[in-house]
Amino acid sequence: MLLASSFVAVALVLCVVTALALFGVTHVSMSGAEAIERDGLAPGILAPVWSLADSTGKVVCSPPRTPLQLIMFTDHSLKAFPSVADGLREVMAQERLEIVVLTRRRNELAEPVLRSIGLDGISVLTGSPSLYASYNVRVTPFAIFVDSAGRVRASSLVNHAWQVTKLLQLADLPLEQENLAPRGRFWRRTAGAGA
Amino acid sequence: MDVLILCAKTAVACLLIVAGGAKLSDPASFASTARLFLPFRVAWPLLSAIAVGVSLGELAVGLASLTLPAITALNALVFAIACAFVGVSALGYAFHRGRSCRCFGALSQREFDAASVLRSAVTAGIAAVALAHVGAAAALQLDATARVLLLAAAGLLALAAFTAAKARGTDSEPEPEVAS
Repeated sequence: MLLASSFVAVALVLCVVTALALFGVTHVSMSGAEAIERDGLAPGILAPVWSLADSTGKVVCSPPRTPLQLIMFTDHSLKAFPSVADGLREVMAQERLEIVVLTRRRNELAEPVLRSIGLDGISVLTGSPSLYASYNVRVTPFAIFVDSAGRVRASSLVNHAWQVTKLLQLADLPLEQENLAPRGRFWRRTAGAGA
Repeated sequence: MDVLILCAKTAVACLLIVAGGAKLSDPASFASTARLFLPFRVAWPLLSAIAVGVSLGELAVGLASLTLPAITALNALVFAIACAFVGVSALGYAFHRGRSCRCFGALSQREFDAASVLRSAVTAGIAAVALAHVGAAAALQLDATARVLLLAAAGLLALAAFTAAKARGTDSEPEPEVAS
């Protein structure tokens, strides 16, 4: 009886400790910089489909009607990244490109702040944490290019203007097999974004 | 001595449960490892079935070893499985050195190397220690409550391994689809 009790106690402790260790290790590995580098969606994958109205009532859809759509996952904090705003201004003149800003949640400051830094004509849409999760985005500002077929063309965390333009170049690459993430592990074509 | 034997038995059982649960989160990658050891071409669905079968087998033996400690034949089975691990590690070291073994799915990035053979040998050694339990098996009859508790703990462990491997591994990352 004592032996059976000892066995149960040892087994229970070992199971619970191992399970807790697994959760701990996973939590640590998922919150590191390396994990954040894997955020976003792989080129070629079908992006979430949605339709949202901005503050003027204009309805914006994804996939877009234009050949390419740049979804900027950010809010008024973009003001802290003036170089990214420069990059957006640089590419927003392109007619084939529709740029939208998707906030994680309702943010009254987002639109006026973005207007104040010269990002006029960009629809500011109120997203949701679940929409962010479906794009696998945790850290902002994050950029994802989606084509009219609804496929992701490029995605990356962006901190600088050149990263926005580089991502646009990557988005223009054809979706051939060699440009897709290899089967198994997703190594995103990065624009060299840092945390 | 008894405590040492009990620890050895539970450790190997937990190892099998973690290995099985983690592999189940990404059978495709384990199937690609299994393919390395087949001398002939096998259709992918069959490889996947083999991968799932091996994973479920590990899980089942681990669960049984943990919840039915009085069945001494399970100790021998666990030892045989541990010996098979040594054999696979040795073959992997000989013929597929540097390739990922996927023994714990995405939980581990370990490769076939000398250390993997050593680890497998240590596991087999621990399983061998658990074999010594045979004499005291009758004293290990568990009541229903204990079995349910152990089953719940083992289920929690399998779920933790599955979830951790899923989160860390390839399936957590989107699988690209080829544009048509």
